[in-house]
Amino acid sequence: MDKLGVFLCTGCGIGDAVDVDEVIEAADEQGCAATLTHECLCAPEGLEAITASVSENELNGILVAACSERAKTEEFASLTKDGLVMFRSAIREHCAWPLKEAEDDEDKTLCAKDMVQMSLARLDGMKSFEPLQEEVNDTVLVVGSGRAGLDAAVAAAGLAHPVVLVETADELGGLLALQKSIPPEEPPYDKPQPNPVPGLIQEVKANDLIKVLTSTNIVKINGQPGQFKVELNGSSGLEMTVGAIVQATGARPYDASKLTHLGYGSSPDVVTSHEFEKMLLDGAVSCPSDGRTPKRVTFIQCAGSRDPEHLIYCSSECCVNTLRQVAELKVLDPAIESAIVHKDMRAAGLMEHFYLATQETTGVMITRGEVNGVQTNGKVSVQLSDSLLGDNVAIESDLLVLAVGMVPNAADGELIRELHDSRHQAEHSESSQVRENSAARAEELVDHEGTEILHLEYRQGPDLPALKYGFPDSHFICFPYETRRTGIYAAGTVHAPMESAQAGEDGFGAALKAVQSIEMAKRGEAVHPRAGDTGYPDFFLQRCTQCKRCTEECPFGTLNEDEKGTPELFTLRCRRCGICMGACPERIISFPDYSVHQVAEMIKAFEVPEDYEEKPRIIALMCENDALPALDAAAANGATWNPWTRIIPVRCLGSMNIVWLAEALSRGVDGVILIGCKFGDDYQCHYIRGSELANTRLDNVGETLERLALEPERIKLVELSHDEFGRIPTILDEFSEELDEMGPNPLKGF
Amino acid sequence: MASIPVVQSSSEFRDTFFKRGGEKAARCYQCATCSSVCELAPANAPFPRRQVLMAQWGLEDQIISDPGPWLCHQCNDCSVRCPREVNPGDVMAAVRAVAVEKMAFPGFLGSMVGNVKKTWPLLVITPIVFWFVVLFVTTGLGEIEGHSNLEPSALLGQFFYDSYVPHSLIYIVYFAAVGWVALALFIQGSKFWKMLGTRQKRTGTLIGALTGVFVSIALHSKFSACDHGVPKRRWGHFLVMWGFVGAAITSGWAVVYLYGETIFFSWFFKIFPFEKPGYPVEITHWVKLLGNASAVALVVGGLLLWVNRRKTGDKLVGSSTPFDRFFLWIVLAVIGTGVFTEIFRFLPGITPMVGFGVYIIHLGVVLCLFLTLPYSKFAHILYRTLAMAHERLTSN
Repeated sequence: MDKLGVFLCTGCGIGDAVDVDEVIEAADEQGCAATLTHECLCAPEGLEAITASVSENELNGILVAACSERAKTEEFASLTKDGLVMFRSAIREHCAWPLKEAEDDEDKTLCAKDMVQMSLARLDGMKSFEPLQEEVNDTVLVVGSGRAGLDAAVAAAGLAHPVVLVETADELGGLLALQKSIPPEEPPYDKPQPNPVPGLIQEVKANDLIKVLTSTNIVKINGQPGQFKVELNGSSGLEMTVGAIVQATGARPYDASKLTHLGYGSSPDVVTSHEFEKMLLDGAVSCPSDGRTPKRVTFIQCAGSRDPEHLIYCSSECCVNTLRQVAELKVLDPAIESAIVHKDMRAAGLMEHFYLATQETTGVMITRGEVNGVQTNGKVSVQLSDSLLGDNVAIESDLLVLAVGMVPNAADGELIRELHDSRHQAEHSESSQVRENSAARAEELVDHEGTEILHLEYRQGPDLPALKYGFPDSHFICFPYETRRTGIYAAGTVHAPMESAQAGEDGFGAALKAVQSIEMAKRGEAVHPRAGDTGYPDFFLQRCTQCKRCTEECPFGTLNEDEKGTPELFTLRCRRCGICMGACPERIISFPDYSVHQVAEMIKAFEVPEDYEEKPRIIALMCENDALPALDAAAANGATWNPWTRIIPVRCLGSMNIVWLAEALSRGVDGVILIGCKFGDDYQCHYIRGSELANTRLDNVGETLERLALEPERIKLVELSHDEFGRIPTILDEFSEELDEMGPNPLKGF
Repeated sequence: MASIPVVQSSSEFRDTFFKRGGEKAARCYQCATCSSVCELAPANAPFPRRQVLMAQWGLEDQIISDPGPWLCHQCNDCSVRCPREVNPGDVMAAVRAVAVEKMAFPGFLGSMVGNVKKTWPLLVITPIVFWFVVLFVTTGLGEIEGHSNLEPSALLGQFFYDSYVPHSLIYIVYFAAVGWVALALFIQGSKFWKMLGTRQKRTGTLIGALTGVFVSIALHSKFSACDHGVPKRRWGHFLVMWGFVGAAITSGWAVVYLYGETIFFSWFFKIFPFEKPGYPVEITHWVKLLGNASAVALVVGGLLLWVNRRKTGDKLVGSSTPFDRFFLWIVLAVIGTGVFTEIFRFLPGITPMVGFGVYIIHLGVVLCLFLTLPYSKFAHILYRTLAMAHERLTSN
């Protein structure tokens, strides 16, 4: 950008806090083509003033030095037409408000000046760009035809997108099709209702937009959102292009043969809930041992669920499903009594009504209790401890039903990849130790082979990566349906354990996500969380050393590799986090509006006073997803902090390139603080592992610093979630005090 | 594996129990809010959560032998706070009603009173008819008019009930009734006491515990412990109880008075050297004053209870079953007929036919009250007292 304009707002207290003239003067000194102050830039008059200045001075880049980019978004977005590049500097939230208690007015103005200079440096490095214009296919591929898959197909077709519904079995309907009824979904929520799956199958088959392929598996998928090339086995060996994929491959019952402690296998009168469902469906409930009609049926909940020895998680549907089976049993033969033994009755939401109705049914006994054992001598005796009566008790019945949990029909792509890599290492590594370890690891992972479903030709593995417990997901609370593969969405019980109604909703939601990703691909836009971003990374491959860090670290599997290990970019898979950019030791990856160079220029742009006593300088690299909104909130709530900190927004801490740290410290900056999302099992990072990767990179930086006779503590990483905005002043001021104790950066003034 | 008790739940019992006012027990999800808000529940055996569970499961034997329901004074703190509208207070009341029936000796009388919704006419009319028949046989009903044998007097009234319904006849009937009731109560009480003992180990004897229990009952201190301790119910119950005690003393004194010369009671006048008043006894005599004061207590207390009961459905009051209402109506009938029996004696213009008629009905409902005592809600005087004694002997 060569013709830049600076537009400084003086409203919202900015004019009172800083010496506006001095700031403008500094901008002029940097050679701006135009400068302007206005008391309310976001008002129509302010926006008009900017537009007039842009056309008068033929500007191609503008700096709006006003409020946070999360404020007045629509107003200022209206300016960025015709390739005009805008950068917004949050003078209000990063300077005017939080420094209001600064002793020296000069410090506030210095901060504002620095911010303008840094922003101009960034703006100077930005490039204008054209969004991608790719050929994008409208079709949604739905894998799996349970309730989630059927609902997803109907929803996508309802939005006029062609659908290909692939089912590995020879009939549609999945696990739910084998169920007599479903829990209530309509008021008064007190009795089972008919299974919707047969109706949905009819609807899907009758819909011209939906192509149904049963007894069909996926051979391979490659490409990217909008352009997935899918190869199916089937009779015709079908090949097709689809725009997005919904994986609704459902779940399977937990293997009851592992539940010997609950009597499974010791007597034919101990059955799983699925085996019992078949009796209900056949209309004949009897004891398999001798065919007699049971007087009482006992149901054990959490059979193998919420159990460290088996499934650690709650399968979420078994409680309500048992209530439904009890209700169906009552309809079938009112004389048969039922008993339910649970750890907690988890009948969430409106299912409370169903639970209550079951409680009020004659001949139903419901109790919590820990099952200590099951004895099967003629009668089936369930031995309970911690019963509600307080004592150990036994419940006798003729038939025992184990409500088994569900295991997702998913393949962990990352582990399959690791299996392949380990095998390769086991054969080819030069070190015998590595060969041995790799062989052992391969042995551990061998069960994952053969579980492949999507057969993605992705560098990071052939299927969706799974979270703990094996469910492929990105973050089920913040980003429902998202997986770690752009354009592929998980729905139904493969996504998380859930019951029928929720699976239907899930299918609907995932279909909307799939359609959205297709539509955004058409416009060359990134999907969540940088939704609408049309910039995309550029790889200067001539300088690539094939170190593979980018292909390893990309959280979304955007990059494949050629045989030599050179990254192959699939732009439409990219989520624009910049983790590759942070990882690259050669710094060959950049975005038109975000690059190693641009941020380095920001670090170089502001003045570092040589006299430490008065003016220490700190750089805060802050994540735009959680840390910066938290900072906005802190400033809006009147928090104040030291005037020495200069804030640089980053897309993700994972995009932090360590040259920035070297640059800052060599300039005499006293310390750098990185504030990003929480990591670990309950990570909050929008890019899965960004802050964790940054932390790993810092480990390597420490040694370098010591070589330079600098304290490693001058660089600090803090995890912060959005709701912890109250911690912001403490975090910033504590770091300032820690640096004060260390004394000035010895490189200052060199 | 050591053998552990098998839950012997009875759907039949559960159904019976639910029909007796405990049907909301089914709704309970065992959060134990009830037990934690109850001020009366002993720390070592809190109620009513467990009892609601037993009801839900249909554990007949366990629920009947449990002291908890009898320690409950039904202040309904639990019902007010129950998040699931189980109304544990009502459940406890139903437990008591069912327990009374199941422990009844002989059983058929228990069922009869338990089934009061259908049997009440039989229960009320039989003793009244009995009295008419007895008097017809012994004295002849046609003779009533002739028994207005007093000059109207401010202190003695205008007729003299003894002249037509001789005290001896009354004593024959009531001594027999009281003897029978005492036997039934003794059998039931022993059974209950034994059952309580199998649940928790006691230290000490029943007699030793009773003094404290009687003090507590006399002061109604348990009622005041309840958070919502409805004053109307506490004082209503207090007055009715003391009214009955006063009436019992009055009646007892009358026996002593009439038979004071016999060897059975001559000791009495030696210990308490009262001057024996002339017969009939004037209304200003202390015994008559005590009797009348008791009547006033009964009327006021009974009205308080009745007014309170009219708010049935209010969670603080609980719901009323026919079993509850029968007991209250009989008590009110005894009080009402008793009071009018006396008033008519003094009210000018009341013919002996009316006066004696009310008196005979009074004798009938009193007999009804006596005979149903071990099987009606009145039986709480036995079970609650025993449960309170049991609590005292197990609390350490």
